[in-house]
Amino acid sequence: MLTGRGRGKIRAPRRGLSTPGDNVDFDSMWAVLASSLREIHTKNASKLSFEELYRNAYKLVLKKKGEALYEKVKQFEHDWLSTEVRGRIRSSLTGGLLTGAAGSISGMTANERRVAGEKFMKALKSAWEDHNLCMNMTTDVLMYMDRVYCTDNRRPSIFAASMALFRDCVLRSPLVAEDPTTVAMILNSVILDQVRMEREGDIIDKNLIRSCAYMLEGLYETEEEEESTKLYLTSFEPDFLDESRVFYKAEGASHLRSSDAGTYCRHTRKRISEEQDRCRSTLSPLTAPKITSVVEDELIKRNIREVIDMEGSGVEHMLDNDRIGELELVYELNARVDPKKEELRRALQKRVVELGSDVNNAAINSSQAPPPQPPEVNGETRGKGDAKPPAERPVNQQTAAAIKWVDDVLQLKDKYDNIWIRAFGSDQGLQTALTRSFSDFINAFPRSSEYISLFLDENLKKGLKGKTENEVDAVLEKAITLLRYIQDKDMFERYYKKHLCRRLLMGKSVSGDVERQMISRMKMEVGNHFTQKLEGMFKDMTVSEDLTSSFKDKIAKLGDPDQKRIELAINVLTSTMWPLEAMAPSTSGEEGRARCIFPQAVERVKQSFEKFYMEKHNGRVLTWQANMGTADVRATFPKVPGKESSKERRHELNVSTYAMVILLLFNDLPPGESYTFEDVQGRTNIPTNELIRNLQSLAVAPKTRILIKEPMSKDIKPTDQFYFNENFHSKFLKIKVGVVSSGNKVEGTEERKETEKKNNDSRGGTIEAAIVRTMKQRKELSHQQLITEVITQLASRFVPDVNMVKKRIESLIEREYLERVEDAERPAYRYLA
Amino acid sequence: MVLKKYELEATLHAEKREISNGRLKDENPLDVSKGFQEMCGACRRGDLKRCQELITDGVNINARDEYDYSPLILASLCGHYEVVQLLLESGALCERDTFQGERCLYNALNDRIRNLLLKYDYSKSTDPLQPLASHITSLLIRTHPKTSDITLSTSGGALNLHKFILSARSPYFRNKLASTPESNGWKLSSAIPPLAFDIVIRYLYLGEIPLDLSGICESDEEEKTLVAGIDKLSKQLGLETLLDNILGGGDRRLARQRRTEEVTRGRDQLEEWFREHVLKHKVVTNTRNADDVRWDRDNAIFADVLLRADADVDTDEEELDGNIESVGPEQKVRTTDGPLNGIPVGPVRDPSPPPEHHSYPRTSTLFPVHRAMLLRSDFFSAMFSSTFREAQDTSHLQIIPIDCSPEVLEIVLYFIYTEKAEFPLDLAIDVLFAADQLFLEKLKVKAATVISTLGNGTMTVVESDNPRGMSNETEPEIDIYDVIRAGWLTRVHRLEEFAARYLAYRLEYYIDEEEFAELIRESAARIKARQETDSIELLDDIRYYLSERFRLRFEDSGIDEMIDATAGDESDLVAAQNPDFKLPDDEGVDLKGPDDTSQEPKKPDLTSEGANAFDFSGVLRTLDGQVTGDEFSTDAQNYRILLGKIDTLLERLKLDA
Repeated sequence: MLTGRGRGKIRAPRRGLSTPGDNVDFDSMWAVLASSLREIHTKNASKLSFEELYRNAYKLVLKKKGEALYEKVKQFEHDWLSTEVRGRIRSSLTGGLLTGAAGSISGMTANERRVAGEKFMKALKSAWEDHNLCMNMTTDVLMYMDRVYCTDNRRPSIFAASMALFRDCVLRSPLVAEDPTTVAMILNSVILDQVRMEREGDIIDKNLIRSCAYMLEGLYETEEEEESTKLYLTSFEPDFLDESRVFYKAEGASHLRSSDAGTYCRHTRKRISEEQDRCRSTLSPLTAPKITSVVEDELIKRNIREVIDMEGSGVEHMLDNDRIGELELVYELNARVDPKKEELRRALQKRVVELGSDVNNAAINSSQAPPPQPPEVNGETRGKGDAKPPAERPVNQQTAAAIKWVDDVLQLKDKYDNIWIRAFGSDQGLQTALTRSFSDFINAFPRSSEYISLFLDENLKKGLKGKTENEVDAVLEKAITLLRYIQDKDMFERYYKKHLCRRLLMGKSVSGDVERQMISRMKMEVGNHFTQKLEGMFKDMTVSEDLTSSFKDKIAKLGDPDQKRIELAINVLTSTMWPLEAMAPSTSGEEGRARCIFPQAVERVKQSFEKFYMEKHNGRVLTWQANMGTADVRATFPKVPGKESSKERRHELNVSTYAMVILLLFNDLPPGESYTFEDVQGRTNIPTNELIRNLQSLAVAPKTRILIKEPMSKDIKPTDQFYFNENFHSKFLKIKVGVVSSGNKVEGTEERKETEKKNNDSRGGTIEAAIVRTMKQRKELSHQQLITEVITQLASRFVPDVNMVKKRIESLIEREYLERVEDAERPAYRYLA
Repeated sequence: MVLKKYELEATLHAEKREISNGRLKDENPLDVSKGFQEMCGACRRGDLKRCQELITDGVNINARDEYDYSPLILASLCGHYEVVQLLLESGALCERDTFQGERCLYNALNDRIRNLLLKYDYSKSTDPLQPLASHITSLLIRTHPKTSDITLSTSGGALNLHKFILSARSPYFRNKLASTPESNGWKLSSAIPPLAFDIVIRYLYLGEIPLDLSGICESDEEEKTLVAGIDKLSKQLGLETLLDNILGGGDRRLARQRRTEEVTRGRDQLEEWFREHVLKHKVVTNTRNADDVRWDRDNAIFADVLLRADADVDTDEEELDGNIESVGPEQKVRTTDGPLNGIPVGPVRDPSPPPEHHSYPRTSTLFPVHRAMLLRSDFFSAMFSSTFREAQDTSHLQIIPIDCSPEVLEIVLYFIYTEKAEFPLDLAIDVLFAADQLFLEKLKVKAATVISTLGNGTMTVVESDNPRGMSNETEPEIDIYDVIRAGWLTRVHRLEEFAARYLAYRLEYYIDEEEFAELIRESAARIKARQETDSIELLDDIRYYLSERFRLRFEDSGIDEMIDATAGDESDLVAAQNPDFKLPDDEGVDLKGPDDTSQEPKKPDLTSEGANAFDFSGVLRTLDGQVTGDEFSTDAQNYRILLGKIDTLLERLKLDA
């Protein structure tokens, strides 16, 4: 087929492209197009033939008349817009608007202004819509020109060009000669005026404004049509933002004067959402972030400080009165302008520290207030505390203060946690701030470690009795929370150990489970090293139980049928783990070390156990701590001679080891005889103060007056005589004789100093260990680095005093663990292997 | 990632097995037909024109010969850049990671060809039918302008469909709609899930159908009902292959292969439908009465618009207005009373040309077509989307005149309906312009390809020997001036290149023509219109091809030196340096200078005269008539002379270059 036809040479295209010079009748073709364009603009397009128009335009472009055609179309549009469209818009203007744009709008009521503005905007809107419609049709017809001529010659498409014309001929041209006011200016002022009306509460035609905003969004400064050069962004938006800024500045100032903080915040939030709605429904979403930031700047940033600090309604007021909703609002607003919420945080921290200091001061005051009851009674109360419901009697003043302090702190914490969750959306930064504030005031209170430990002690001893697991958990959790705040954890450890020791030895703990649970919580919270010793204490207790029973077995096997056999329950305590000195705080020097002389029977048992123990563990030294033991003694009181009904009475007395030793003394004494205080001391070798206390409980306390003191008084004097009280009477079979113990009361100032000193000593050791550890690793280190390193290492346990660290370094140098580097620029040390 | 050799061999083996099992279609089947052998020959020689002709004749360009060579491998091996380009544009495959593809790349003679091959890597090139398929698929969701003429209601909603597509694709609809062309709705039983309809309709509209139904069904049961529904529907509608396609499994290559087959089948169905209905029912009528033709909306072709093209006015035909049989308009109105299922041939003229045909000065042809298909052209898309007259609903079909001849319009429509464009050289420029006007880029490219291949840009060995007995007809097939101007006007750069090359290889014929000077002036003006540069694009191109034309001989020895040296020395030198230098069989064997013929009148006379000047005299002469010693010096001198002439021409035109 191809070869057959191949002969026929390609014919010149049939219609008119033979030579470029060949004249198309441009004028007549343009005339056709022009009249069609006019038809399109007057909305008579339905009779026009697309094909014909397209063909005409196509030919013109093909004949290199694209340039002329393009210009002609532009000219046509220019003329049309400048005459027809502008005229129509001018006629829509009511007189006031024209002058209004230039200066202040005067002489018109709001309603008149609104009506006039709407009329104007309607005219503009319909002009814009018509123009768009026409230009879409024109673009269709001139498609070939757009694609070929405009692309080749880098001209903007006819649509873009005509949009620019609309901008220049309609929006940007003065309406009246000699008056620089343009349509765009009037439009701006009309829209702003309407927005102002709406802000003041009037109803306006949002859709109308929206379509005008659409128009501005569809127009660009240049023909490249870059996004950033939208007329909306370049000519309208800045005006709008300025106007809004002025408006809100004034509003912020007046509201600050006239309303309280809560109202102010509510109003601000309302304004922000209003503005966002306005951007959505009336203006352009593009503006939303900008206008929001204007409102934020003017209403929040500028005034937030004053609002938060507002007297009688500010954040302090809200916190105190649990105004969760308002706090939430403040938080939300502050978060808008400041991701760190600096102002709110400041107010919050200030308030927490204030309240915390109040709690601290209250605790100090109550602990320093003169105790309402004499200490003796206190001691007795403590001693009997277990048998009686604690609420019936006032607990030790100090302890109460401690527990109150802890409760107050926990309450405060609860309250702020609640606020934090409900109002501050669990904000991380605020949590840190709260933690810091709590930590600040807790650590500012010198007795916090002791009080917390006391609180735990109290709970573990009785507070937790009969509580469900969840409640127990909650209490423990609270305690741990407080522990978290404490910087000097070693202090806490010391106190806790002391209290634990007493609970264990005296069997006062409510539940071993809970104790262990507490230990494991602390382990998780603070670390292994912290609980090591505490765990060791528990271990000793179990080992001792085994020991006791195996000793009992052994005695039983010996087959010694001694009726008066003494049963021994023993606790072997590792001396490094237990705070033994705590048990006898006032015991000092050799006196404490002096051996108590046990009665024969007891001494035998003691020796037999020592033998038994040495068989198992060779080379250990057992030191008997008589001051910590208890004994059950079966006592027989003779018939009261005066009373017929009376008979011989047997009682089981639960007494301390010392009391047992004292009582046994009276076994050997004939009735009616007495020992003086010195006699007793001489025969037993019990340390003086212990002896005094034991004698007090045996001879002074009214319910356990097994001995009679002569003369009868509350104080024990070395010259006092002691008789066996044959007339002792009690309705109970078992009697517990409490010792006036040092109890778990708050330490006195003396004791505290003692504790601190010990604590410092042990800190010294820890610090030295840390220094040596560091230096061993680094070999050589500057002074500053070493200090930093040590402090970081120890931070989890306590905050070391720099001076103490320095002293330790000195001492290590003396002991030749370290040496100074001689010629170093900065002071530095070297480790000596 | 290029596969290792053994991996490649393994895949090749696996592929072979698959093919012998009949699972896969061989992408490069063995072909020992004469046509294919000729194709291979043409590729070896670089005979661009022959290649194009053979491709048009339907030779499978992806087949292989008995030595496993495919045309593409041959062309790239022999270094024929233009042939490689033509093959790739016509759909030859060169896929990396296949045996044939890697072989092709490996064999490429130079980097230029290799890069060309890589550029056409299969993964990037699309199925040539894809534009058609995606257009038809897009009709399903396209709501504006409205083109649908039948609504299918299912329980899941309504689908707006097109009768002509349904008829073309499904025998069921063809029969049904042929009997009731006016029906505009089709209700479906609610027993079949709507999703099944969706899939079937997508299939009919050449859309991608899901490979794996389980992915879109929530349960096995649902899937079963869906498959049953599709099965039932496809039986009802007479679609044998649909279910196979769905159940065929997910192998990528198989799926691609099935899809290609399906789209091809769809295209063929559309083509058949187009021939059977649109072309068969086109109406030839007197131009004057063409606009009076009334065509009902409800017709068996389901056409919704008529395109009119007026035949050329043949100048040799006499205008015999008086003889026109005037046919009253009332006769041309097809009455709606007639049976609707009949072929609604509107105008009452017998389609076969009556004997007095010659007496009609001008005829117009009306094509009943579908707007849905016309939308492929932006021109029609804008037209039907606008509010102009053409887009309005009228009681009878709108008649839209198109500014081209009926033959060209037919080609355009053929392309729009079927993606096929085959047309002879003599229509190519008209097609080019029509495509440009209607924004059919692919058709433009096609037209440009036809011109630049069949127009014979390079005179190849074969051709100058005896290209199919054409050598005695020396009349050129094309008017190169028209071609280049058309290239300029329609912005087809390929044609500019082609024309420059064409001119360069025949410069001696054209250099002295006044029209050539005019052309140079135009080219200069074109460039100056854009930006102020001193070069003239066309001349630069011509110079480039001129040097290419002569470079064959001057390679390695330096052209300038060649030109300045005396003829005798030079030839010795060249002969000594390139003892086995192959002598090109260009037309330069004996050229009698145009000096002799420059006084002759213009084309086409010149060409015939020129031909006379080509008698083989056995004497070597240069263009200025000097007798020279051998062919080398002839060429050197000719080259110099031609360059000189260009300079003279520029001087005369007062252009710097």
